[in-house]
Amino acid sequence: MPDDRAIETHDLSKKYGDRLAVDRLNLTVASKQVHGFLGPNGAGKSTTIKMMVGLLRPTSGSLSILGQGVRGDNPKVRRKLGYMPELPRFPKHLSGEELLDVYGRMYGMSKTERKGRIPELIKMVGLEGRGKDRIGKYSKGMQQRIGIAQALISDPELVILDEPSIGLDPVGMVEVRNMVKDIVKSGTTVFFSSHLLAEVQQVCDHVTVIHLGVMRYSGTLDGISSNVFARRRIVIELEKPVDSVLASLKTLKFATAEANMNTYTLHLDTREDVRAEISRAVTGAGGVIVRMQEEGGGLEDAFLSLVGKEGMA
Amino acid sequence: MAQKNRAGTLAAFLAVLYYEFLWNIRKKKIIAIFIIIFAIATVQLAFAPIADAVANPPQTLQANPTFTFDGIAALTGIFLFLVGVATTMNTVSGEFESGTIVPLLTKPVSKTLVFAGKVVAAVTTLLAAYAFLVAYITVGGTLIYGPQDNLNVVPLGILGLTIGSMVWASIALTLGTLSKNSVLAALGSFGFYIGITIAGALIGSFLGASTILFYAPGMGASGTTGACAGLERGGGQTFSTGTDGLASMLMRWVLNPGQVLNFCGFQFRASGAPTTTLLSSDTFANVAFRDLWVSLVYVAGLLLLSWFAFRRSQIAES
Ligand SMILES: Nc1ncnc2c1ncn2[C@@H]1O[C@H](COP(=O)(O)OP(=O)(O)OP(=O)(O)O)[C@@H](O)[C@H]1O
Ligand SMILES: [Mg+2]
Repeated sequence: MPDDRAIETHDLSKKYGDRLAVDRLNLTVASKQVHGFLGPNGAGKSTTIKMMVGLLRPTSGSLSILGQGVRGDNPKVRRKLGYMPELPRFPKHLSGEELLDVYGRMYGMSKTERKGRIPELIKMVGLEGRGKDRIGKYSKGMQQRIGIAQALISDPELVILDEPSIGLDPVGMVEVRNMVKDIVKSGTTVFFSSHLLAEVQQVCDHVTVIHLGVMRYSGTLDGISSNVFARRRIVIELEKPVDSVLASLKTLKFATAEANMNTYTLHLDTREDVRAEISRAVTGAGGVIVRMQEEGGGLEDAFLSLVGKEGMA
Repeated sequence: MAQKNRAGTLAAFLAVLYYEFLWNIRKKKIIAIFIIIFAIATVQLAFAPIADAVANPPQTLQANPTFTFDGIAALTGIFLFLVGVATTMNTVSGEFESGTIVPLLTKPVSKTLVFAGKVVAAVTTLLAAYAFLVAYITVGGTLIYGPQDNLNVVPLGILGLTIGSMVWASIALTLGTLSKNSVLAALGSFGFYIGITIAGALIGSFLGASTILFYAPGMGASGTTGACAGLERGGGQTFSTGTDGLASMLMRWVLNPGQVLNFCGFQFRASGAPTTTLLSSDTFANVAFRDLWVSLVYVAGLLLLSWFAFRRSQIAES
């Protein structure tokens, strides 16, 4: 049993009718870290997570959670797992505390354990004073908060959160981020999905990027910029437009060039520093450089290039 | 973080049961069922005194030692149907409709346990509701109509009402599990009830108490203590022996096990009135026993089907 792997999937696929929502996903999430699951809307994040928590059966492939294979209905695996659904909905007629209490019973928690844990969680998610109110009277953000609390009720080894900060105000988003950091400090593995790069960037050590059901990257956050080829651009401004400059730039093998008035943009196909060569090509063709600047190549650009530039915030 | 507690299956089951009752009590569903039952029993109790009081000239109320027994036996058909369907129409489908199925099924309780908890909660609700009803008409009956006979078999009446109602409840539960829609479950069950009632009535009036009616849910075949040839002359008492009549049958099984019931058929001729012939006859004991297992087979079969559907279900909608 690989102790250091909280989640492992092998060629995990899910089809809805003819639509392939998740395509042969091979994902490994190491224990005791925060792993972000990033992708634009419709990427297949929720579908993957639902297979992990046993709500959906994989069309093909397999997965194991905390060293146990998940096939069919597996309550034993779920005992060590806390899950917060995307836009969770709970019995409206129960109060927040009652909800945590009844779910705590399902985890086999004793009365004393529940009594200790529930107020602690209510406080942690910022619902102090509202624990006795019915969930039906909660705002969207409060329902989200009770959703986080119920995922943590049993002090699980692995917490899976599907877009935990959707519906929260900016303060709430920061609070959730801090909660995630606290959870992982206590030795819990956190796997959470998001379509916000900024959010993932601030809490995760590791990240998996998925787009159209296909895994595009999985590894450390820092590794993205170096491993993922993000297109850099070099923008050159000349004193005045010169036709021969464009012709000369077009002969460069490592870039494609385009011109707009006296501004020339080169889309680089290389990671090397090629500024000297470019400058030589421009001056050789009779151009006078006023400004030369490199753009792109950051984390954001790496993500955009991973997900085909569309839909990534 | 090691899990300090390893709850057994029993603890998980009790947690599911607690969840189910907590939810249903909070939704006031159980209270609504009790109110319906209370209202119907009150009408039963008050009918004769009011009728007597408004009669012209006013009558004095007669003592009626069989009021409770007859009252239980009279609870059939649409009443058992409504109470049963109200109890289970959203038991599973409501969880799908509200989305609460998602957090529920991701807790460490198996689907089988969740289903079992829901069924046990439904049976307990029906049992409690009918026990309350029978207690109410027993006490009320004694106060209004004097001491009551045969109170020893009244618990069997409660059991019969519960099982008879469970036949309809199981249909609603199954339709709800298959369709994941409470309205479809209720309407579908009602359609089934109407269909089976009309089909039963047609069979009953053209063929008589034919064997097929012994095995159909609902009112089933009518049996008479009189002779078939003498049916038109009003000899003997007639009893409905279907799953709806289970309470009455179980009570009579104990009181009158050897009493013979005749099941009569009709023969239509080209001219003249149809003749009545004896199709079969059996003792109360045998009829009640058959009625009991037919009801239980329906309940078990339907629950098995919906358990299977529930276990197979995937929760794709968020
Ligand atoms: N119940 C369903 N039936 C059919 N198709 C579905 C269903 N649920 C999801 N899909 C499809 O599967 C694909 C992946 O959806 P999924 O919900 O997993 O995406 P996601 O990454 O969670 O997106 P979001 O950020 O919007 O939550 C989408 O194309 C979606 O249309
Ligand atoms: Mg999603």
